Amino acid sequence: MTAKDIEGEASASASGNGGDDMLHEKLTTIALSRTKTWGNIETKNHYTPEDVSDSDDIKGGPGEYPFTRGAFPQMYRSRMWSMREIVGYGAPEDTRRGLGVAIENGASGLNVVDDVPTKWAVDPDHPMFRNDVGIEGVSIPTLRDCERLMEGIDLSKIDLAWHSISLVYPLTVAVHKKRGQLLDSLLGSHMPDYFHQVISGWGSKLVPSNMALRMSAGCLEYSAANTPLWALGLPQAYDVRERGVSPAGEIAVGMAIVNTCLDDIARRGTSVDQIAPRMAWVSTSDVDFFEEVAKFRALRRIWARTMKERFGATNERSMRLRIACHTAGKSLVYQQPLNNITRAALQTFAAICGGVQSVETCTYDEPICIPTKEAKELALRTQQILAHEIGAARVADPLGGSYYVEALTDAVEKEALALLAEIEKRGLVEAIESGWLEGEMDKFNVQYDRELHDKERLVVGLNAFTNPDEKPFARFEPMKASIQNHVERFVQFRGQRDMATVTSAMQHLHRVTREGGNPYPAMIDAFIADATISEVWGTLRQGFGHAYDAFDVYTSPFGLSEN
Amino acid sequence: MSVLLNRKLGRVGLGMLGLDVHTKGIRTLSTRLGDYGCEVAFLGEHLTVRELVRQARERDVDLIGISFSSGAYVDHCRDVVAEMRAQRMDVPLMIGGLVHQDDHDALKALGVEGIFGSGSTIDDIIAFIEKVTLDRVLRRAETTKEDGGRAAG
Repeated sequence: MTAKDIEGEASASASGNGGDDMLHEKLTTIALSRTKTWGNIETKNHYTPEDVSDSDDIKGGPGEYPFTRGAFPQMYRSRMWSMREIVGYGAPEDTRRGLGVAIENGASGLNVVDDVPTKWAVDPDHPMFRNDVGIEGVSIPTLRDCERLMEGIDLSKIDLAWHSISLVYPLTVAVHKKRGQLLDSLLGSHMPDYFHQVISGWGSKLVPSNMALRMSAGCLEYSAANTPLWALGLPQAYDVRERGVSPAGEIAVGMAIVNTCLDDIARRGTSVDQIAPRMAWVSTSDVDFFEEVAKFRALRRIWARTMKERFGATNERSMRLRIACHTAGKSLVYQQPLNNITRAALQTFAAICGGVQSVETCTYDEPICIPTKEAKELALRTQQILAHEIGAARVADPLGGSYYVEALTDAVEKEALALLAEIEKRGLVEAIESGWLEGEMDKFNVQYDRELHDKERLVVGLNAFTNPDEKPFARFEPMKASIQNHVERFVQFRGQRDMATVTSAMQHLHRVTREGGNPYPAMIDAFIADATISEVWGTLRQGFGHAYDAFDVYTSPFGLSEN
Repeated sequence: MSVLLNRKLGRVGLGMLGLDVHTKGIRTLSTRLGDYGCEVAFLGEHLTVRELVRQARERDVDLIGISFSSGAYVDHCRDVVAEMRAQRMDVPLMIGGLVHQDDHDALKALGVEGIFGSGSTIDDIIAFIEKVTLDRVLRRAETTKEDGGRAAG
């Protein structure tokens, strides 16, 4: 039943079978379904000058502290946001071809996503996970595979963003180093936020919490000292939102992660001004347009104040937050998937009105399968239309000064700071280890689900305006033959290595980690010595006192121990 | 709600396998089933197939439910069904997640009885649980009566 049909039929069918549902649908076409934002902030019928605080925050322009109105004075006039397309499937060669297509389509930035086993630092022949190799991203178990992926790509010229965490950074540094290029010329970015992994579904299985802080802080330290052009996506607040928090909650949890890492780094003698300018916030843009715009504005303000007042930053670049945005995967609906084009377009528009530095727009078919070529092209074209036709890029902070958006920015900020105080009262590590933080996320999701069920929230195609005669959509087919060849090549390669070199690299990594040193240089050298991701991660785990294989299938082939 | 609470619903074991990290759905479902008076045994996340089935056996569940975000759910279901046979675990299996319609036949052929993808409601799931666990619920009630309630819980 569509909304249009209801107009003529509601009165006739209201007394018949399913009449209640029909009547409900009729009402939803004429009545507002909700006055709260999707993040649960109550709104008024309209806003007036009295609702806007009289602070100095909004009197300045973009590029001025505390950056509510934008990170840069000229915003998109000086530099358009990076329009990113996400690529990653099959063997490294398959994804390399996909990158070529993205460049041809005019993507100004490339996002690479690795497959689930690579994210878990598990070799592709691990018996438990063979089915997942190359399905939801590209499989990169060795330096050689990373080289295949980057064939012909000069990493000092092309900014390749990894939508990933665990080992892609040392792998990429290793490629650059092996090519004989200077590390300080390395462009690109990744998301070294191990804390977020613990709370967004990976649990302590992948990253035991004593590893999370050391791996994040160690990466920030190493990168700031050695690869100064590399951007560090921390916090990875996107996954935190997808896991289940409001926009204000995104700021609170993200800032708790940032504060914990920067506190640790400061204790180890590195100043905030050496690190913060390289950091970027990995964010989302969900369906509530005004609330997302308010979030981006409140976020920049909170970041600026924190860097200046809490960490004593003096470099303005530390206080000026850059934001990388991916539109919200969880907002997409399986039913009537073409509607997702509309959702993603408006989410992208919100991100631009909120002043982000890069956007990866979700494809409409994301709930159905790995994105098809057509859907990817549409997502990129959406951004190009916004930039060049709609006028989204023309004026910085176009909603600044709106009574509503200013009041909502203040409301999001206030709620975020209150929740951040609650997390920090417990301490982030304790809030995670006790299960409290995930418990709060579970509560948020359960409430959300109850509201969907009771139609206090309406999602078109899901719980309203549904179409029972819908035809299933075509989907992307995984490249099984090429994946099979890739796994066989991997197994053969692993058997032919110079094991003395690999073992010595592993012993060194184990020792450094044991002694509390920064493991990154040893990880990079281990990849150059042709160690695999399972070997590097397993040895790190042992260095931190955990079993070599999180799934208890393998033991260390190097005779090393966690005890 | 009171009518629903009088329904006879079996004990449902919910879990996730291996590398799957999208835990939002299964955790939300486990609380929501509780809203309807359904007993949930949370089997865990990141489990091996063997561990999941072993847990389900030990906790004497009447139905196993697995949530997938992995696109390789057909292959994983094949492994689960084989392991259930190996451990003589004869209860129905339901799955949730982003399950494509083109795979429904293959899943049914494997013996997956309930498929709850996007758009499934809690009411659909409750109705399914009631239907497929009723026999075991009645049998358990009988056993409990016979041995004076010692086996209860």
